[in-house]
Amino acid sequence: MENSIEVNGLRKTFGHKSAIKDVSFAVKQGEIFGLLGPSGAGKTTMIKLLTGELVKTAGEIQVQGMPPSKFQTAAFKAQIGILSDNSALYERLTVYDNLKLFCRLYNEPVSRIDEMLIQVNMQEEKKKIVAKLSKGMKQRILLAKALIHRPKLVFLDEPTSALDPGNTAQIHRVLQTLNEAGTTIFLNTHDMEEATVLCDRVAFLHHGSLQELDTPENLRYRYSTHAFHVETFSGNKLVIENNEGGAEEIAKLMKHGCIKSMHTDNPTLGQIFLKVTGKELV
Amino acid sequence: MNVQRIQAIFEKDMKDFMKNTMMFFTPLLPVILAVFYSRLGEGEEMPLMMIYLIVGVTYSAVTSGTMMMLMAEENEKKTLRGLMLSPASFLDIIIGKSLAATLLTVVSLVVSLLIMGIAPLLNAQAIMGLVLLFFFFLFLGIGIGLFVKTVGITTAYLMPIMFLFGFTPMVTFLGFAEDSLTMKIAGAFPLPQLIEMDETHSWLSIGVVALWMLAAALFAFICFKKVKQNE
Repeated sequence: MENSIEVNGLRKTFGHKSAIKDVSFAVKQGEIFGLLGPSGAGKTTMIKLLTGELVKTAGEIQVQGMPPSKFQTAAFKAQIGILSDNSALYERLTVYDNLKLFCRLYNEPVSRIDEMLIQVNMQEEKKKIVAKLSKGMKQRILLAKALIHRPKLVFLDEPTSALDPGNTAQIHRVLQTLNEAGTTIFLNTHDMEEATVLCDRVAFLHHGSLQELDTPENLRYRYSTHAFHVETFSGNKLVIENNEGGAEEIAKLMKHGCIKSMHTDNPTLGQIFLKVTGKELV
Repeated sequence: MNVQRIQAIFEKDMKDFMKNTMMFFTPLLPVILAVFYSRLGEGEEMPLMMIYLIVGVTYSAVTSGTMMMLMAEENEKKTLRGLMLSPASFLDIIIGKSLAATLLTVVSLVVSLLIMGIAPLLNAQAIMGLVLLFFFFLFLGIGIGLFVKTVGITTAYLMPIMFLFGFTPMVTFLGFAEDSLTMKIAGAFPLPQLIEMDETHSWLSIGVVALWMLAAALFAFICFKKVKQNE
């Protein structure tokens, strides 16, 4: 099985409103795939369709080689892990009791709890009541919960929204380690930095339609003007074309030791999204 | 259905219950009422109606109430989604929670009846009636719990259940004529049927309570199907 997720001509409507419009894509085993789009673009609907929380209107879906008819089986659920900004813990119970419940539901030994707490750097909070933890700590416990059964495919829906940079970096580290171990990650985000740092490939979702799909590097190259931005010591900011004339101009500046800084004109994913859809990625 | 998952949900609910002040006091309500009633007319034999009233309060408040609250809280706090996305089936979740409601009911009922005097209920017919009545209230709690979204709203559903089915024998104190329509309708309700059964030893009453239980089971099944359809 080369692809972890295969989607062909997927459509989802709620009444007369189309949430997903004829979307096709595939996610390879072991890659981090980012679905980028503003709030309301259909990202959460996509995850719900891929995890069996919603039923498709039309099209084909295969996740871990299984069709939607198998999405409610224990065999399917054991292969996937989900973390969304809507996930929740039992606030009156301790971190340990929360994770113990899911260990038992997934038939994992309770020794797995300590492994997961080390992974998310929360060993010291093991006996603490969840209600007393910060939002960032809760999110890390939710991540531990989502990964406790060693899923082969993890769905993350805005996993770091409203988190401080420290907690965000911690979650990114866990995800990178997880991916290095071969886990496929499907990441919904509107955070372009997060997508750039984590994703092997990204797709833009806008009003339920897929607009672009490629690696962040390829997209940035494709939407680049290929010009160079040069700042001289005299304070001049120049945009120099990437051609023979530009090369001569840069050579001249270098010869006279005038260049303070020089960089290519690669746009950010946010700028590309704006260019493609005419809408800010927020 | 998976026994280990049912047990995990049951144990989680029991731990959560011990730390939930609001729910923790619910099983104490029949016990407090039993202590209060047992002090009235000390030395006299406890009227059967009062004993069944305690049964009604226990079943409506503890069985139906706990079940509704357990389900509603999972909905309200968005923890139900986590359970549903795990390998636990919806039936595992409902059975796990029903076991927690059952344990709390049994403890509360036994303690209350020991205080009130359990002897009148220690016969096969009465025990069968109590078991059927328990399932009637449990199914009612499951059905309502399936669509109630917040713990606050459970009160709105619990009150009519308590007054209609838990306190039905109290209708005799409202001054209606013995042959009035209200009294006839109230007499067909499950709790008065059990009181009548104790007086007449008629198996017809057991049949009526069994019908009530089947109706509640059907209600819970319809709610279950509807929730599954909406998923």
